[in-house]
Parts: sequence; structure tokens; C-alpha cells
Amino acid sequence: MNDLIDSDNVLFVAAFVIQFLAIAFLAIKNQRAAFFSSNIVLLVGLTLGLISTLSSAFFSSAGISSNNMFENWIRLDGLSTYFLFIIQLVAIPTTIYNFSYLRHYIEQKRPIKSFIIFYIMLLISTQILVMANQAIFFLVCWEVMSMSAYLAMILEKEKEEVQSGSFYYLVASHFLIFILYIMFFLLHQQTGSWFLSDYHLSFSAGVVVPIIFVLSFIGFGIKAGFMPFHFWLPQAHPIAPTVLSAFLSGVIIKMGIYGILRTFLFIKPVPEWCGWLLLVVSIISAVFGVWYALAQHDIKRLLAYHSVENIGIIGIGIGIGFIGSANNLPAVEVLGFGGALLHTLNHAIFKSLLFVGSGVVYQNLGTRNIELMGGLVHRAKYIAILFLIGSVAISGVPPFNGFISEFIIYTGFFKTANELKDYYPILMLMFVVGLAFVGGLAVACFTKVNSIMFLGSERKEVKHFHTSAYDYISLGIFALLCIVIGFYPQPFVRIVNKVITDGFVAGNFSPALVNIDWFYFTMIFSSIALGIFILYLAKIKVEKKYGRKISAAWGCGYDNITPRMQYTASSFADELNTIPKSVLVYHKEVKVSKNAFPLTSGFESHSKDFVDNKIVLPLIDFLKSLVAKIEFLSQTDIRYYIAFILIIITIYSLIAFLWV
Amino acid sequence: MGLDILQGIISIIIILGLAPLFAGLVNKQKAILTGRIGAPILQPFYELQRLFKKETINAVTSSILSRISPVLNLVTLIIAAAILPVGFWKPLISFNGDIILFAYILSLARFFQILAAMDIGSSFEGMGAAREATFALFAEPIFFFTIGSISIISGFTSLYDIYHSIRLDNISYEVFIVICSISVFMLAVTECSRMPVDDPNTHLELTMIHEVMILDNSGIDLFLYQYSSYVKLFIYAVLEISFFYPFSKQSYLLGILIFVTGCVALTFALGMVETITSRYKMKNIPQYLLFATAIGILNLLIYTFTN
Repeated sequence: MNDLIDSDNVLFVAAFVIQFLAIAFLAIKNQRAAFFSSNIVLLVGLTLGLISTLSSAFFSSAGISSNNMFENWIRLDGLSTYFLFIIQLVAIPTTIYNFSYLRHYIEQKRPIKSFIIFYIMLLISTQILVMANQAIFFLVCWEVMSMSAYLAMILEKEKEEVQSGSFYYLVASHFLIFILYIMFFLLHQQTGSWFLSDYHLSFSAGVVVPIIFVLSFIGFGIKAGFMPFHFWLPQAHPIAPTVLSAFLSGVIIKMGIYGILRTFLFIKPVPEWCGWLLLVVSIISAVFGVWYALAQHDIKRLLAYHSVENIGIIGIGIGIGFIGSANNLPAVEVLGFGGALLHTLNHAIFKSLLFVGSGVVYQNLGTRNIELMGGLVHRAKYIAILFLIGSVAISGVPPFNGFISEFIIYTGFFKTANELKDYYPILMLMFVVGLAFVGGLAVACFTKVNSIMFLGSERKEVKHFHTSAYDYISLGIFALLCIVIGFYPQPFVRIVNKVITDGFVAGNFSPALVNIDWFYFTMIFSSIALGIFILYLAKIKVEKKYGRKISAAWGCGYDNITPRMQYTASSFADELNTIPKSVLVYHKEVKVSKNAFPLTSGFESHSKDFVDNKIVLPLIDFLKSLVAKIEFLSQTDIRYYIAFILIIITIYSLIAFLWV
Repeated sequence: MGLDILQGIISIIIILGLAPLFAGLVNKQKAILTGRIGAPILQPFYELQRLFKKETINAVTSSILSRISPVLNLVTLIIAAAILPVGFWKPLISFNGDIILFAYILSLARFFQILAAMDIGSSFEGMGAAREATFALFAEPIFFFTIGSISIISGFTSLYDIYHSIRLDNISYEVFIVICSISVFMLAVTECSRMPVDDPNTHLELTMIHEVMILDNSGIDLFLYQYSSYVKLFIYAVLEISFFYPFSKQSYLLGILIFVTGCVALTFALGMVETITSRYKMKNIPQYLLFATAIGILNLLIYTFTN
């Protein structure tokens, strides 16, 4: 307990106390006052938390100290501190956006206090989760996190889509916590300890460790949204309040990544099949995640599928790290895990940016369907530019942060191919091409999103586009982070490098990550920015000299052009979506009327989730039919139920008795 | 060090200066092969000069994006040119992993060109933009399979080092390099909107990809787009000619000779392809691109298993 007197820790604990205090402010009668005061207090708490995280020994000095507190229940090592940093960094701008987003609810006199309570609970439990060092405590935090997210999600619970979407989330969360129970039970049974820092197992120990690995991959993988387990993401994200979607997609699903990395620390070094398992699952998630996204018209569902893609990219990095770990190659390990960790931070930033941006548009247009948007750049120029920055970043295109982490992962592939000859080069090249393909799909998808939402002319008339200062502050912070990490990645790379030094790499440490010529990136990206600026000024000068005018677009002589004649999102993506038609469950319908005067005609395309429609729903139907067979047991009389309970208890007792 | 930088700058100037000439040569070759006299070789220069002095017209629906995009296009191509080794000179930008930057810089240009096309809000541009996005997706793997496979075999990840590592001492490696150069040629044809994929000469909107995306641009904007497309063509040409690097190692004179002959031979090849083939149907283009990718995969597999 001596640690608590430390000045660092005082600030640290104070930050959490203040965040808790934010709940108390909701006792104020006036909803508006209550919301504003509690949100401000929450922001102060989060900022203090971020300051204390940044000023902790981990970020400031060269050394690494694992900070243990509260009789070892709380432990801050490299990985925990890094994730704590991500949570607080993303939570602050998201909470600022709260001011703008919840204003509409307050104006409509809708009760939002419960939402705020659960939102605060979610933030606090997530922060504590990454520091929890006691298995049961970890699971409790996990459950509080999952449930408060669920309860915050059902803000508009009277809507049917909210009920069904949040139910997906509830079921997925409950299913995965069972798997985590089993996993931690096995860990406890193997080591006899409840403390996460005591778990050190080796794969040579027997069959239990591979089971633990697979359980952690499934359990945490459901949370992260790897491909076969992703089905809850596109259901839950669109219906959640935007603030929550941003936090859910930016941070909560990363807890799955945290879990997988944490498990790796228990059981390292892993054998090679773990790496291959992760690589194959991840590349499938990445390719089909983005392909599904391309087929969506609902902006939030589209972004949810992009989370699947980015989790795939993170998983690819972890997979390379595992392969490096299996073959005892520190350089490969550093590049793999480094790329994964940096992409975790990057994705948290740009995905939250895009969600907040989509929220601003949704508030004004009242629809999430991008086919009804268009021309918003003329209404809100800066929102469009900020959204564009996020889009360029998420597509992995330079000069923003998405490119930096993808570059590290590419370098990891080439390094693996160099270090391990044999058949590795071919396999690695396949993954390189796979990642390039994902990049191309992401470009196609985000050019679609940006052009349909913001460019051209308005498909649905917008009377008034309202934006508030909070929107710009929130989006601005995210965009600034995208730019800073893109143009000057060195400090962030150093942080990531430090995290990996703290327990990831077994043998000699390799400086592969810091040795990448980051200096060139700063130079090249700055010269691109400078070059564009100078050439643009020169171009304006030339235009002044030879003239410039505004005129209608070329319409082949037809001048009665309406906004509906613009290229739509469906038609933009149609050619690409037709290729994996059966996987995307892609339907298109061309309506042509056969009359002499064709009045109604149109084109529609829809895509359904393969896993959801072909696996999950049939499975549920099957279970329902099974349950229907024992329906006769369902009686109205409570005495029957008591009898059933007694019978079950007797059976359990008998089993327990015989076991002993 | 100083000499390196000077050489790097000179290579960029060579690429930027000779690019329209190269395009003019291709057109001349094509004209001769189809039995016409054709425009003078310097025609692209005249056209650029003409466009420069024209009035710029922007569509009503367009935004700042379509004004910045032409500039961004040229700047990114200049950066790509700075990564590219011309002959045996060290390029201005050369570091481990620059092939990834090279591919992604070009993808940045594409991102903004698609956006600028969609910015007009007309279906013509939309059609071209959708096609560009679709075909680019299949073109990108070709680059990574060909250049990437040489990179993985040689162990280098910088374009300059990769081309430096090409040696002519092993017959299976020679075959491997020759087939790689064929893949790069197919890639160049796609990326530069040349014949079997796109027709730079028609002005029927339904058949075009690149041309239709810049349909509503004029004046200085069109000047920048046209010039960028010449530069892009020449960048891919240099990417192809650099495969002859091992021959030009002996002396400067020989190097220059090979570079010039390579350029002329390549214009002849491009003109020939455009003469004897017609443009593919749109739906067949992905197959053509996948064919080029398959060549890359098979090539690497064969090379790996023969060694």
C-alpha cells in the first residue's frame, strides 16, 4: 500500500474518483444542468487520467516499471498502460461529442440520465479492466463493461431495430463470457493462482495450454469481431447511439485484442500453428469485412464492417508476431506486434472520427442511408474535410496514420520471408498481396462513402445543416491525431516498441521497429503537403491569368439533370459486389415497367450477412424446434418448476458425490 | 552523397521532361503501324501548351476537391518518380520498404482522382470512377506479385536495391526476370489506360475509364491531368526498362544507349499491342488482370521449386 503515497498514484486514483463523482452530479433535478455538469466532471476525470497515464514511469523514462497496487489486484505493465492510454485518448473527444449528440434528446425532453450513468460505468470499467490483475476481478470488470454497453445501447428502446440489434450483442457477450469462465478456470487449475501476473504456462505442458489458447481466441475473438464471430457487430453498431458506437468500435472491440495479447503473455512462446490460425482467420476477416462494407448502404453498418476489416489487419500483425515468437526471431516479433499495437491505436482514432462524423450527418438528415445523402460538402465544408481525413487514414493511404501501421505489417512480412527461407517467401507474398487487395477494396469503399455522402448534389433536400463547436472540437482532435501519427510517427513507434520490450520478446531485443527510416516519411509527407500548397497557388495564378468560370456539368446536351440521376452507391459498388455474390448474399433487382409509358423503374441492391443468415439464424431455428419438443413441460403452476429444480439439484449432487 | 542527390534530381527532371515525348513517340509508332502519318512526335508538348492557356471551367456541383485533385495527382507522381531509379543512378528517395510507399503513393493519387470525378455529380464520371476503383483493385496485386517476388528472392525492399540485385548468371533466374517484366508490362498497360484495357483515343463515354473521369475538366486542370498521365506512363516505362539494368552496368555511354533503345523499343511494343488488339469488353478486364496476377504466382512458384 506504500505505493499509494506516491504522487503519481494520487493523481491516478483521483482521476478515477472524479470519474465516479460524475455520476453523483446526475442527482441534479434539471436534466440539462445534470448532464452538462456530469459530462464536464467526467471530462476532467478523463483528462487527469490521461495526464497521469502519460506521466507514469512507462511513458516518461527509459525504464519500465510494473506498478502494483491494492494488494496486486491492479497492475500496470506495458500492455495495460498502452491500452489505458488508448481508452483515455479516445474517450475524451467522444465525451466532448456527447454535448452535441445528447442535446437533441434533451430538447425533446427524453430521459437520458440512465444512458449517461451507463456510459460513465462503461468508461470506468473498461479502464479498470485493462489494469485488473485478478482473474475474478477481471471477469467482473468484463461483465460490467459488456452490460453497461448493452444498457447504454438501448437508449431508443421503443424502436424494434434497437431491440433486435442489441439482443445480438447481449447474446454474443453472454456466450463469450462463458468461454472466458472456462478459460480462467483452466488457468487457475493449472497454476493454482488467481493473479494474472502469475500465469506462466508452456505449450509443452500438455493438451490444456492449446485448449486455453483456442478458448481465448474464440472468447476474445467474439469481442474483437474476427470473421466467423463478427455477426453481432453489424447488428449492434447501427442501432447504438453514435457516441456509444464510436466508443464501441474504437475501444471496446479492442478489448478482445487486449485479451488475446494478454493470453499470449501467459503462454508464450506459442507454437507456429497459432500464428497460422490467426493469419488465416485475420486475412479472411480483412478481405470479407471490407467487401461486406462495400455492399452496405447504412453508413454505421458499413463502418461496423470496416471494424471487422481493421481487426483483421491487427490480427495479421499479431499472427506475424506469433510466427516470430515460434521461431525465436525477435525482429519479426517486434514488427508483427508493433504493427498490431500501432494499428490498434490508429483504428481507435480514425474509426471514432468516422462514427462521430456519421453521427453529425445523421442528426441533420435523420437517416443513415447514404443513398439519400449527397452534396453535403456545400453545407458543411469542414465536416466533409475532417471526414475525408479519416477516410484516407482508414484506407491505409499515406500520408495519415493508417499507412504507418500497415507499413510496419508489410515490413514484417518481408522480414519473415527473409529470415525463414524455405516455403515462407511464397506464403508471405500471398499475405502481402492479400493486404494490398484489402487496401484496394478499402479505397473503393471509402471513395464510395465520401463521394455519395458529401459530393455531387443533394439527393434529399437539406433545409438546415446544424453543426456545433463540440462537433468540430471532437472531430478536430481525432483528425489532428491522424495527421500527427502519419507525419511524425517516431514517438508513437517508440511507445509501441517499449510495450513490446515489456514482456513480449523472449530473446535478445531487436531494434527492427525503430530502425525503419521514419525520417523519410516525415520528409516525404511534408514535401507532398508543401508541393500541393505551392502548386495550388501557382494554379490559381494561372487561372487568374487565363480565366475561370463556373458552368453546368456536361450532360450530352440534356440540361434537365436532377440529383437523382447521379451515380448511386449501389451502382458504384455493383461491379465489385457481383464477384463474391454468394458470400455477400448479394441481391440486386432492376425494376422495369413494361408499359408504353414507363413510369416506375429503379435499381436496388442488398447484401445480407452470410454467417448471420446461413449459420446463426438456422442454428437458432434448429434450437427453437428442439425446445418446442419439450414445451409440454412448460406449465403455469409454480410447483412444477420447484419440482424440476429439485430434480436438477439432486442430479448435480449425485454427480458431485460420485466425483469425490 | 552530394553526387547522389544531384543524380536523383536529374533523374526526376529526366522523367518530368521526357514524359510527353515518350507519349508522342508511342502515338507516332501506332500511327505508322496503322498506315497513317500521324501527329508530330512533339504533339503532346503542343497540346499541353494549348491547354495551359485555355480558360478553366468548373462544374456548378463541384467543390474544392476537384480543384485540388489535379495538383495532388501531379505532386504524388513526382514523389513516385523520386523513388524510381533511372538507369543505375540512385534515386532521391531510397530506403528499406520504399516499394510499399511507391504503390501506396500511387493509390493516394487514385483515391483523389476518383473523388474528383465523383465531385462533378454526373453519371459519366461516376461510371468511370467505379470502373477505375474496380480495375485498380485487380491491378495492385500484379505489382506486389512481380516486384514483390523479386524483392523476396533478393531480400531487398527498396526499388533501387531490387533492380541492383538483378544478375544474369543463372538461367532459371533469367527466365524468372523475363516473365516478371511481362507482368510489369501488362500492369503498365492497365495503369496507364492503354489499349486492351482502356482506349485513350475514343470519346464515347460508355467505353472509357480514365478519359471519362476527366471529362468535365478543362484549362489548367486538364493540363495537370494530361501531364500527370504522361508522367505516369513514363514512370511505368522506366520501371520496365530498369530490368535491363545488368547490361548497362559497364559504362555511362552504354547505360544511356540502353535507356534510349529501351524507350524506343517499349514505344514500339505499346504501339504494336494497340495495333493488333482491340479493347476488351469491360467484364473481361478483371480476367485479363487476374491472368497477369496468375503469371506472377506461377512464375514465383516455378522459380522456387527449380531452385
